[in-house]
Amino acid sequence: MPLDQKASTPSRIKKVSPLELMIVWADGHESHIASAVLRRECPCASCRDEMTGARILLPMHVADDLELRKIQLVGQYALQFEWADGHHTGIFSFELLRELCPCVDCRKKA
Amino acid sequence: MAFWNKDGKSTPTEEQILGELKKVLDPDLRKDIVSLGFIRNLKIEGSAVHFDMNLTTPACPVKDQMRDQAIALVKALPGVDSVDVKMTAEVRQAPQMDKTAMKGVRNIIAVGSGKGGVGKSTIAVNIAASLAAAGAKVGLLDADIYGPTTPIMLGIETAPKSVGTRIQPQVSADVKFMSMGLLVKTDQPLIWRGPMATKALQQCLFDVDWGELDYLVIDLPPGTGDVHLTLAQSIPVTGAVIVTTPQDVGLRISMKTLRMLQQTRVPILGIVENMSYYICPHCNSQDHIFGHGGGARAAEQLGIPFLGEVPLDMAIRTQSDIGSPIVVAQPDASSSRTLRQIAEKVAAQVSIRAFEAPVLEVE
Repeated sequence: MPLDQKASTPSRIKKVSPLELMIVWADGHESHIASAVLRRECPCASCRDEMTGARILLPMHVADDLELRKIQLVGQYALQFEWADGHHTGIFSFELLRELCPCVDCRKKA
Repeated sequence: MAFWNKDGKSTPTEEQILGELKKVLDPDLRKDIVSLGFIRNLKIEGSAVHFDMNLTTPACPVKDQMRDQAIALVKALPGVDSVDVKMTAEVRQAPQMDKTAMKGVRNIIAVGSGKGGVGKSTIAVNIAASLAAAGAKVGLLDADIYGPTTPIMLGIETAPKSVGTRIQPQVSADVKFMSMGLLVKTDQPLIWRGPMATKALQQCLFDVDWGELDYLVIDLPPGTGDVHLTLAQSIPVTGAVIVTTPQDVGLRISMKTLRMLQQTRVPILGIVENMSYYICPHCNSQDHIFGHGGGARAAEQLGIPFLGEVPLDMAIRTQSDIGSPIVVAQPDASSSRTLRQIAEKVAAQVSIRAFEAPVLEVE
């Protein structure tokens, strides 16, 4: 597997707590992403304009303590979450999830 | 430790025999047949050696080669007069499969194309029938809602029966099959918006009594639509076969389907080039009507296996039209051999995936 593909291929997916998702990637990197961050970045058509990509859901409208209820694998390429606010229509590709890694190294590259 | 038999000749030990068998490599899985656990029921009776070779698919393309090599190596040991090998096969389950609603289905092979009319269904039907003829348990789901053709190609066009809420698949050429075309009358089109197509596909996957299957072949509609997306999202597809014609137009559109499948992380098992050349029934000369070598070149550029070239052969078409796939009706025809080899390569690629694919779960 080429390195860039490893970077977006999970080897472990874990709900550490209702507030935190952990993904260990095939390149060894470990990402910890907050539930609220995922909700704010939801790519579904009711949260982001399909054509322009502009935000419809504003980050300020998501509480920092919004809890993750459920995590589901979508085929072999993405994850789908359900949050305590009932929202569940976003499909997060592995590539998007890696881009959302909040660590200092990943932020520098972004 | 050596034993001595009546004639005073030494009898080989189990270690010696396994040592020799370790020299036989499975060229697809790149490991020796002992480490892969293929050797079972090894028995030594005097100078006669018996064992089973349990492969990962009955349609293994190098079955004979591995058997002959194993026999030759063991026979060369001092004290061995005869070697008796029984070839068996047990198709491995793709690692993700047992977590889904389709527990009895070990592997799912999607057959797709870019544009329509490239013979995707013909290839899918003949791959399914070849695998079944090799002894595998095979299912075929025709998910081409716009042009469902497998009922014609397999010669059964009556609606399947239901037992309770479960749909019983039809059986033809030893293949259990279900077609979206069987959900409506033959000459009626399916006029569905996306959500209906999605629902019908899920019904065909989860509500059909597929039972135990080594391979479920899914004949996709052309292009990159709702059916593809639903499939990629609903089940862990073991891999996809892309069918194309050699001409540039067909190939370039096939690439779109291929890219879509790659984006949804469906492994690509390889490219089949259909209508590769025309064999003149009068003079037997070959004509490359649509150009030559396009499929092989594309496969090489993309670093994926090239599975083979199928000629434009009238016999393939007539057999499809009368509902009896050529690989079953005329197994010795040259096109049948070609199609069988393609099916074997597909089975080999599936075995490789079953060994390599990681198991992913949400903890």
